[in-house]
Amino acid sequence: MLEVSGVATGYLGENVISGIDFTVGGGEVVAIIGSNGAGKTTLFRAVCGLLRPTAGTVRFEGEPIHGWPTHRISRAGLAFVPAERHLFAYMSVKENLALGAYPRRPRPVDLDLVVELFPRLGERFAQRAGTMSGGEQQMLAVGRALMSRPRLLMLDEPTTGLAPNLADAAYRALATLRQSGLTLLVAEQQVPLVLRLADRGYVLENGRIQMEGSAKELEQDPDVRRAYLGVT
Amino acid sequence: MLLDGTALGLQFGLLGVGLTLVYGLGGILNLAYGQMAVMGAMVVTLTMRAGLPAGWAVAVGLLTVGALGLLLDATIMRPVYRQQGEHRVLLSLLLTLGVGIVIDGLLMWRYPIGSLGLDIGGAAVEIFGVRMRTGTLLASVISVTTGGLMLAFLRMSTLGKAIRSVIQDEEGSRLVGINPAAVRRLIFILSGILAGLVAVTRSMTSPVGVNAGIDFTILALIVAVVGGLGSISGAFVAGILLGMVSTVSAFYIGQYITTIVLLAAAAATILLRPTGLLGRNT
Ligand SMILES: Nc1ncnc2c1ncn2[C@@H]1O[C@H](COP(=O)(O)OP(=O)(O)OP(=O)(O)O)[C@@H](O)[C@H]1O
Ligand SMILES: [Mg+2]
Repeated sequence: MLEVSGVATGYLGENVISGIDFTVGGGEVVAIIGSNGAGKTTLFRAVCGLLRPTAGTVRFEGEPIHGWPTHRISRAGLAFVPAERHLFAYMSVKENLALGAYPRRPRPVDLDLVVELFPRLGERFAQRAGTMSGGEQQMLAVGRALMSRPRLLMLDEPTTGLAPNLADAAYRALATLRQSGLTLLVAEQQVPLVLRLADRGYVLENGRIQMEGSAKELEQDPDVRRAYLGVT
Repeated sequence: MLLDGTALGLQFGLLGVGLTLVYGLGGILNLAYGQMAVMGAMVVTLTMRAGLPAGWAVAVGLLTVGALGLLLDATIMRPVYRQQGEHRVLLSLLLTLGVGIVIDGLLMWRYPIGSLGLDIGGAAVEIFGVRMRTGTLLASVISVTTGGLMLAFLRMSTLGKAIRSVIQDEEGSRLVGINPAAVRRLIFILSGILAGLVAVTRSMTSPVGVNAGIDFTILALIVAVVGGLGSISGAFVAGILLGMVSTVSAFYIGQYITTIVLLAAAAATILLRPTGLLGRNT
């Protein structure tokens, strides 16, 4: 579904990631793990067109999308939920969700699905997005992304700023999405959480992919255990 | 006087909305705004002189300023959009100031004594037992209708919400599939038309001269600041309020001092309530 090969990009003419190769198959859940500053966000921004790759190709469902503007990539069915969420703070929950479906009108079935996944949002339809708690904003960001009926959902550290119980809840919601057959690509520092959800994963360090494997392989790898699972 | 104040205020409101919409695009201040308004008025004058009926002339005038907005967006705003933060604000100030001066120069060179006076002002009509000049009445009706339509469009329609989403969070808007470039274009066209419309309605009560550009810009700036730069409903409310203030002050103190009163109101807003009358809200 997504094939990234040889991608490099960065800021102010300096590459911070380079030679990135990875794939995401239809129906898979893939994790990108890496510590602070490894380049996870940079990589995701390059995939969804917010940053232009300086080298390499990105194919989504066979189509080369590198060089496309973000809105076109989004309309093609690739949704991205950034760690900062980028909600429309002065609009209501409902308006945020409705805009998720842009340029189409929001479909009632999709709204129902989002409310089923996050009942909290249903109770807060009229509330302004900017006045919601961090956890609620995260739900809204995911809900808004789902309104476009994406075929691939990319999430950058969906647990940012969430208390442990809320982080667990966020991952339970992602597990539900996975069960419905949605393809997911998740960047995460909370490695135990994401490896419980993912089929496969890649380890990103200093802007390069250092390791790849099934979730089980990564969980048992001594280096990963030492660096990310707090096992000595 | 209260009615006159409201009538003026409605026009101030529209003027402020046009400026504040563009400001929403990451702090772009269009200092050529007033000159765009005057240019609209001048096109109306010339078209009428060429023999077109007033209604058609106004349509031509508004389309012309809309097109001018489009032109600005496609040309000198290009480098502005590539900048972020302060650089975007500063570059927009400098470039639009230049455009304003050029328009001013052209108009004053070609039509040194030109002015638009849509003469419907004379006869008085009576509504609800209040005497009102026809020009004032018509200007108010047009302003209320336009303001209502604008607010409804921005709050209720999908396209209107897309416009507000770009103002609130451009990156978020791109992520949901909105093309910010298209929205910017639309905003510049709308803003131009609003500016032109206000110049036309103003000319229904008193003539709008070729050199009125800078006055329109200052007024729009004051209204937008008092309404909370970037806030659309705020600009409208601020416009109505300042229209009243302006009418009262012009009556009791004098026209010249009125500008200073309005500037003071804007300064006070920044000091006391920097988010504007209604607080931040788009
Ligand atoms: N806007 C920017 N301008 C310049 N350098 C940047 C910018 N954003 C990120 N970087 C640099 O790029 C590198 C990778 O950052 P990135 O945000 O992609 O890491 P990350 O893996 O997402 O980290 P985190 O887990 O903290 O979110 C870092 O060294 C960072 O300092
Ligand atoms: Mg990051």
